[in-house]
Amino acid sequence: MGIEIPFDVATIAGPEAGDVAPPEVIGSYISSASRPLLAVGSEMLRDEFFIEIAIEIGKKGIPIAATGHSMRGFVEKGYTENVYYYNLHELTNCLRDPNWKGLDGAGNYDFVIFYGIIYYYASQMLSCLKNFATDPLMRTVSIDRYYHPNARMSFTNVMPRMEEEYKKMLNKLVESIKG
Amino acid sequence: MEELKKGGIFTISDLQNVRINIGEIVEEEEEWEPMGPHPMPRIATLRDWDFKLLNRYKPFYAPVCDMCCLCTYGKCDLTGNKKGACGIRMDAQQGRIVLLACLVGCSAHCGHGRHLLHDMIKKFGRDMPIDFGPEVNIEAPLTRLVCGIKPKTIGDYDRVFSYVEEQIVQLADALHTGQEGSYMDFESKALHMGMLDSLNKEAADIIQIACYGMPSGFPGDGPDVPFVDVGIGTIDTNKAVIIVIGHNVPPSADIGVYLTENDLEDKVELGGICCTSIDTTRVYKKAKIVSALGRQLRVLRAGIADVVVIDEQCIRADVLELCQRTQSPMIATNDKAMHGLVNRTDDDPDKIVDDLVSGKVPGVIILEPDQVGEVAVRTALQMDKKRRSLKFILSDDEFKYYVNDCILCGGCTLACPNGLRIGEANKSAAAGNIKPLADLFDICVGCGRCEQVCKKHIPIVDVMTKAAYPQLKEEKGRMRIGRGPIWDSEIREAGAPLVLGTIPGIIAPIGCGNYPNGTKDAWLIVKEFAERNYIVTLTGCMAIDCALWKDEDGKTIYEAHHGGFDAGGVINIGSCVSNAHIHDAAIKVASIFAGRPLRGNYEEIADYILSRVGACGVAWGAMSQKAASIATGFNRLGVPAVVGPHGAKYRRAFMSRPDIKEDWKLIDASDGSDVYVEPGPQDLLVACETVEEALPMMAKLCFRPSDTDRGRSIKLTHYIDLNQKYLSAYPPDWHLFVRVASDLPIATRDVLLKKLEDEQDWKIDWKKKKIEEGPIRGYNPSFNPTNLERLIRRKK
Repeated sequence: MGIEIPFDVATIAGPEAGDVAPPEVIGSYISSASRPLLAVGSEMLRDEFFIEIAIEIGKKGIPIAATGHSMRGFVEKGYTENVYYYNLHELTNCLRDPNWKGLDGAGNYDFVIFYGIIYYYASQMLSCLKNFATDPLMRTVSIDRYYHPNARMSFTNVMPRMEEEYKKMLNKLVESIKG
Repeated sequence: MEELKKGGIFTISDLQNVRINIGEIVEEEEEWEPMGPHPMPRIATLRDWDFKLLNRYKPFYAPVCDMCCLCTYGKCDLTGNKKGACGIRMDAQQGRIVLLACLVGCSAHCGHGRHLLHDMIKKFGRDMPIDFGPEVNIEAPLTRLVCGIKPKTIGDYDRVFSYVEEQIVQLADALHTGQEGSYMDFESKALHMGMLDSLNKEAADIIQIACYGMPSGFPGDGPDVPFVDVGIGTIDTNKAVIIVIGHNVPPSADIGVYLTENDLEDKVELGGICCTSIDTTRVYKKAKIVSALGRQLRVLRAGIADVVVIDEQCIRADVLELCQRTQSPMIATNDKAMHGLVNRTDDDPDKIVDDLVSGKVPGVIILEPDQVGEVAVRTALQMDKKRRSLKFILSDDEFKYYVNDCILCGGCTLACPNGLRIGEANKSAAAGNIKPLADLFDICVGCGRCEQVCKKHIPIVDVMTKAAYPQLKEEKGRMRIGRGPIWDSEIREAGAPLVLGTIPGIIAPIGCGNYPNGTKDAWLIVKEFAERNYIVTLTGCMAIDCALWKDEDGKTIYEAHHGGFDAGGVINIGSCVSNAHIHDAAIKVASIFAGRPLRGNYEEIADYILSRVGACGVAWGAMSQKAASIATGFNRLGVPAVVGPHGAKYRRAFMSRPDIKEDWKLIDASDGSDVYVEPGPQDLLVACETVEEALPMMAKLCFRPSDTDRGRSIKLTHYIDLNQKYLSAYPPDWHLFVRVASDLPIATRDVLLKKLEDEQDWKIDWKKKKIEEGPIRGYNPSFNPTNLERLIRRKK
């Protein structure tokens, strides 16, 4: 999809910048993970559609770390089966440690999907994982409406007038994740 | 020898032209307390303590920049924790940048304090006594603790600043290429810098309290200080208006003196932005607080100032340009912020006023604080007449033109620190609904980056201000003036309930206005904890911003709560430098309530506070390097802090791992035995995404190993309740804080015991309502927690 500027234009960290990719490619990338995790933030609460997308991904067997106050959305929807509240800073602190036991006690994850998180906060956490979760490599993607250069792969920036297009992208993404 | 002059100079009668200068005369100090182990600690002195903290709260790094460009080897790409050409790894480089930020913050407070000391010695003499009245006997807890000095006069602070200045230079030296290489040691140095910063703040505030008679420990001070108006709407623009900006109060104090002495108090409004405004109200009771830092650009653009007076710190770099735009003459009063103006100190005031009023110069520098009042007031009175017909708020037609001109390109959103969707709000306004645009006013952090990228050159800040103008005119808050030190008698009363946990904690909202979602969050934090009987101690911009909001009875949070250091109190401690009194309150709990020796005894007191005093800072809009050094200073003393999501850009956090048992091994000082405890406090520095998440986090960070069962049950009540209220769920880790059934709130004890049985597989004796198996440890009322082996009283 070509070169993109970061959603917060000055978020240019250095030589390594993630790729902009369409939903099918990101979905396929997620499907290649052995132990993926979905980290969901409070921006998801702005529209029921976005909560439902998270739940759809959760139903494909990907556990959900509900960060910020996003837990509220899952409780209201009655979906809490594989949803765990975690502060994003603390979660990232654990993710950078290969010996962490994970949310379910079965070990750390090899892939994290960032979704619904305030841009600059997510960007910093992605930066931590990019720089310090390297052995073994922690793969990261963002499926927010922003280009995130600190993720290995992310969507492009989506302007408000393209909101419906963004929703279609998320639907395509969910379809392309193999459960 | 015939004559001893001031400053240690004496002349000898028979030897003309001979003068001997013996330098500083150090009087023998009265023996007020035996000296502790670490007076005036150097870089390595408290390193062991730092490493105890850093091994539990391991530094977490999130680089903002993956490169280093500090020397000509580079740029070096450090991505993936690679080493640069000098050998430094990314983690150490991040520690280095954190140390640099703390250096800048600490230097700002040290420079401020030293500058103040020079001015005050010149005005009042070195022997100006430090007497804070009958309620404050421990006048300078940090000075006693760190330096081992009990200051009697402001001149005693010469030694304190000399110590800090030497340490700053040594720490700055460590930043050079080819010096420190360990991130742990960079962090130890940052913690040292943070401690020095806290000392600077105390020194600066003590000097100004002593010299200006700001509130301290006399009748009418403390909980009984008067209220002051806050908000743009409180400024009477029918009068001449002077706006002061910054942190160093002497020039503003001189304006107050001039107004009083010349009977002009009813003709001129003296208002301020940021900490200078708080301190001005501590010396001139008719002063008003216009706004905190976040609205500086918009207050200046609104053109209400007939004169702008700046001193130091947190002043916009383009302040002169903004003043010129509204034809407001500017007076710079500090050599650290001179903005290219001409120095007119000692010049004839008539000439300076003429030049400013005629517009011959846009501003001047006056470096003697006592010369500022006359020039500022006389200029404001003349400019008021001249500027009265000028309008700076957009007309209805201009507003309509601009919102219709927006092409929804999204450039402003990409430039906005908060990613505000300004174009969408413009679109609504163009269609006749200005509410979305007006609502953005409070969330906007007031930086102005949006305007620079607007392809249509729309003055976005002005457009937003116009939309919010009806509300702004009515923005009329109230707050107590900064009260300075917490009284010793208050510590005697509140010390026990704080350590035992029956007052669930001290919540300390401090710092800047870089909020993720507006000023109302500041109000919500204070309200939520004050209503739950925490003690809320505020300083700086958060103290101002929370005063802008009112409850259903029309009361601000200060009007709705008492101002004492006791359960439910909402206390404006004062400006940035005043927040040393929050450190001091925790230190005095250890000293007055627990009888721990203070003098040169930092490590023991920090160990006490970390294990026993349930205090938590919150810098929800932390932005500056000062905020970095302030938080780091709190951390070394054992006080955790929560920051807003922008705080993640400080690059470093201190978080523990509750799942690593060995990290939570404490010592019982009564018998030397090892005790594995619950994670209290779990983090020393952590960012939360939203205020809804931050509220339960702050309650969690008030747990301490020393809590009694009654105290623990109160803290658990709030922790669980705040989670349910804001996250709609039980906290996943609440069980970690349960030691015995009596730790559980009585009202919900059975429900919680059942949850422990069902969800955590704990064994419950339902007949006795006792927990038989499950907790990390049991409850031992005589547990004497410490991290320091030297404090073991007797070995088992």
